[in-house]
Formats: sequence, C-alpha cells, structure tokens
Amino acid sequence: MVALARKTLIYEWRRFLPAILAVGFAGLLQLLQAALVLGIFGSASVYITGSSADLWAGYPGTQSVNLGRSIDSGVEMRLRMDPAVTAVEPFHWVDADWRGPSDTGGVSVFVSGINARPDGLMFAHALPLALRARLNEPDAVIVDKADLDSLGVSVGDSAVINGHRVRVVGVSSGLRALGGVNVVASLATAAELDTDPSNASRMTYFVAKLRDPSQADDVAARLRGNSAFGKYDVWTAQDFARRSQLYWMFDTGAGAGVLFLAGIVFLVGAVITSQTLVAAVIGSVREYATLNALGVGVGALRKVVMEQAFWVGALGLIGSIVLGALAFVLARSRSVPVALDPWATLACLALGMGLAIVSGLAAMRSLRRADPATLLR
Amino acid sequence: MSAQPNMMPSISLQARNVAKSFTSGKISHTVLHDLTLDVRAGELTLISGPSGCGKSTLLAILSGLQRPDGGHVTALGQDLGVLGMRELERFRLLHTGFVFQGFNLFPALNALEQVELPLSYLGLAPGEARRRAIASLEEVGLGPRMDLRPSELSGGEKQRVAIARALAKEPGLLFADEPTSALDAANGQIIIDILHRIARTHGTTVLCVSHDPRLVGHADRVLAMEDGRILSDRVPSPASTTSGHEEPTA
Repeated sequence: MVALARKTLIYEWRRFLPAILAVGFAGLLQLLQAALVLGIFGSASVYITGSSADLWAGYPGTQSVNLGRSIDSGVEMRLRMDPAVTAVEPFHWVDADWRGPSDTGGVSVFVSGINARPDGLMFAHALPLALRARLNEPDAVIVDKADLDSLGVSVGDSAVINGHRVRVVGVSSGLRALGGVNVVASLATAAELDTDPSNASRMTYFVAKLRDPSQADDVAARLRGNSAFGKYDVWTAQDFARRSQLYWMFDTGAGAGVLFLAGIVFLVGAVITSQTLVAAVIGSVREYATLNALGVGVGALRKVVMEQAFWVGALGLIGSIVLGALAFVLARSRSVPVALDPWATLACLALGMGLAIVSGLAAMRSLRRADPATLLR
Repeated sequence: MSAQPNMMPSISLQARNVAKSFTSGKISHTVLHDLTLDVRAGELTLISGPSGCGKSTLLAILSGLQRPDGGHVTALGQDLGVLGMRELERFRLLHTGFVFQGFNLFPALNALEQVELPLSYLGLAPGEARRRAIASLEEVGLGPRMDLRPSELSGGEKQRVAIARALAKEPGLLFADEPTSALDAANGQIIIDILHRIARTHGTTVLCVSHDPRLVGHADRVLAMEDGRILSDRVPSPASTTSGHEEPTA
C-alpha cells in the first residue's frame, strides 16, 4: 500500500503546517489551563495531600477541608480501637486574623495546629524534620516562603494572631493556601490561638494512618456511621482532597470558566485546522478525481483525508507535549502552582485529537469536488 | 507490431441512441444527439472534432463517469446504466484506465508509487503490485526514471507515468482525453505511439478524444464529431486494413 497520506504530509509539510500548529497550540493551551487549574485548586487540599494520613474524620457533610467544624475528642479513641489503624493524631484548624509588624492591615490566616513530633502525619510531605521540630518552641509558627510579603514579616519576626503574639521560626514551600494564608503551628500553640470557647475539648479533625493504605475505603466505611461519639464522618484522604478541590472549583465559578475556555480553544483550533485541511484537499482535488476515475472509491479517498487529519493531530500533540513539559518545568521553577494528573493530560490530548478528527470530517466534505467528469474538457 | 490480428476484432464498447443535454438556467443545450457507436477492442479509436462538439461528454458517458439522459452504454458486455455508483466505481477499478490532458500526478509520490497506488486498491499483493508497476513503467520507457517525482520529470514523461498508471491495472478499456494537448510534437508522437501499441499488444480498447490533427495518422479509426453528431467514420492509415470503412452510425 502506497502511504499517500503520510508521503503528501511530509512532501507538502508547508501546506499542513498551519493545521499542525493549530492543533499543537490548542493542545498546549488545554494542557496549561488544566495544569493551572489543578495546581491552583490543588492547594485547596494541600493539608491532605501534604500529609501522610490515609483517613480523615471530621464533621459530617464538610464540603472542603477549610470549612471543618469541631467534632468530639472521643472520636480519636474510636479510630484507635480499629485494628487496621496504626496512628491517630488531631488536626486543629483555626480561622484567625493576623497583624504583622509592618503595615499590612489585617490578613485572614488559616492556622493549622499539628502534631510536631518527627513521626507526625500532618504536613509530613511539606515540612522538613528540623523545621518541624522548631514548632515545639512556644508560640512558634511556620509560613510559606511566598507568603512572607503579604504577611509583612521575615523569619525571626513576631506578629499577632487573634491577639496572641507568635514568632515566625522558619519558612517552607508548598504550603500556599486558597483564599487566605496558611500558618502552621503546634497543637499547643493553635489551642492558644483558638478564641472560640465552644471548641474546648473538641477537635476539627482526626487523621489516621493505616497498616494497609489500600484498605482505606473499607476501613472508612467501617468507621463511619457510629454515633457513640456524636456526629462525625470518615473519608479517605483521596476522597476528601478531591471533594475540597471540586468545592473550590465550582464555588468560585472557575470550573465553568475552564469548560468555556476549553470550548473556545477547541472551536478556534478546529476552524484553522479544518480550513487548512480543506485547502490541502482542494489542492489535490484533480489527483483525487483521477484516482476516482480509475475506480478508487470515495470511501478510500476519505480514508486518506482522515489519515492526514490523524497525523496532523499526532504531530501537533507531540508539539503540545514538548512545549507543555517545558512550560511546566518553567512554572514549577517560578513557584507557579501547576499540577497535572495522567487523566487530565489524557483528556487534554484527546480533546486535541478530537479537534483534528472533527477538522478531517469537515475537510472530507470537499472531496465532493473530486468528480472525475470535471477532468474531461 | 504493425501486423493486425487476422480475425475481426470484437466490439467491446457500444453506445445506443445516447443523448445528453445540459441545462443552464432556462436554456437547454443538447450536447449529444441520439448517438450510436461501436468501438472495437485492439484498436486505437480517435474521436476528433472542434472544442464544444461533445466529444469529451461522449467519452465521459462511454467510460461510465457520467450518465446519459437517454440511450444505453454497454462496456465489455456490461450495461453501465444498471450499475449503482459503487458498482460503477468497481467496474472502473477492474476494467478501465484513464489518461487526462492534465497529468494529475500526486506531487509527493515518485513514478513507481504513482503507478502502484491504484493497484493497491485492486487488492493485489504488494509484490505483485510492484512487479506490475515496474513492468508498466518499463513499457512506456520510464524504467530508469521510476524513482523521480513529477517535479523532476518533463511533461512527456509525466504523461507516460499517467499512461503507465492506467495501463498497470491491465484494463480492457483505456480512455484518453486530449492526451497530447499539453505536449510538444515529439512528445505527442511518443504518447500516441504508446497508446497505439497498447491497443495492439494488449488487445485493449483505446478510445482517444482529441482535436489535435497530428494524431489522425496514428489512429486505427477516426470518428469526426461536430455538434453532438458523428459526421464521418474512416480508417486513415493504410497500415490498418481489416477494420474497413463504415458509414456514420448517427
């Protein structure tokens, strides 16, 4: 079989270049958009993804980790009683007001009170051990490096949270929050900062580590639905992280924005690509008509056009992947929150290929002009 | 090559009362008037006439590219009128070759690939398709140049590739529309000689449409057309004697 589609694509690459670029940039835009959205909204669940806990116990119906209400401290005992659980620790969330030494006005901060021991689960991935140990100092807090400016402090400075003096003992990265600034403190410091009297002897969350993390779904199901310690619910870390991200994505309207932009990118890409492919078909219409005169069916000619569309898509997407990877590395090096999972990547690439295929179908229509009778004059 | 087979060549292409008209707005223009014609296998039949006389339309109808408004066309014993679009494509794939005034070669393919391309749709094994393609190119004298793309070939060579492409299918019918119009005298001569030879050696029905007077001497039979009618039917060359003289059939 003579590879007409591929040979034409290579020989007349200039003709196909606009289509390849259109698919490439459409794919790149989709990838970057997905990476930014996942990156930005991923920080909504940094408490979960930055920790090594497998299960989270919190107030029933909690839509996002930052919206937790306190639960009875007895839940800790309930979790510890399960043989699959190897460790349990509290996580104390405090919504607070920050006043720094410089003139920054009030800043809304989220204080995370965590177990500061070296084997602590909370922020196990986000805090180095030495830094974590410094949380044991009285009134010590850690913030993200990128938040220092908005907090108006530098390491070693003091500030006031909810009227209580704290000291910034260090900075970390990967702690940035959505809608506020994360401040990490020990459980003892956080308890001092919590001014709500109704939270006494209660805790926002309890997190647990399992002997076998793959059992998380079963253990969570087993632990929930017990009302002996008041209202609480248990989620796997994965579920709770996804729930928090989705809450932010749709609460802010960003989800709809993303879908809208994806549609626009698809449309613009499809218009350019289909026009280019149509021009390529028209450019070879006499040759196609000759093949049809020789008995090569219209179906076979359509296949040639679709094969070209496929290769245009494949080449464009290879470009998207290369450029996207470069942009990703660059963004990471500049602390721009970007993240991609395989499914999102696959969805973006599928959208790019879909664009090429739709364009191919549009170009196929112009094969109607390949009527061999027009070759006779 | 110049010797004719002794027996009378069989009739491979028949047109019976074929009529065709085109409508543009309110004006209807009749291109073919109730035309009846027999074309024999193993001969090069030339239809000549001024432009607009309907010769290309006749070729399109005889080759199954267009349908007549009235009348019947029988090609190789098959009534083309009863075939659907797919069946007509299949019939053309199996039995007909075309050579056009424009060479219509794919710029990206070399001569060998141009010829192989339609063969691959015939369902031939790749080795067989290649063998046939090479044989066809050698037959038109392009054996040494089969690796070249159209941009590297002269006009005459391109038309020879187009002929090889049509010939490689081993068609019973070969249609040529103004095959020499875009060529100089020498190349035109080569092309018509090749077409003539194909008719003789393969027993192919070669029907050529042209207004080029230089071709008349090379045809086995010349039909002169004007205003949608055949005016004369004659045998120009004394070398071909068996076909004899015929009165106009329309």
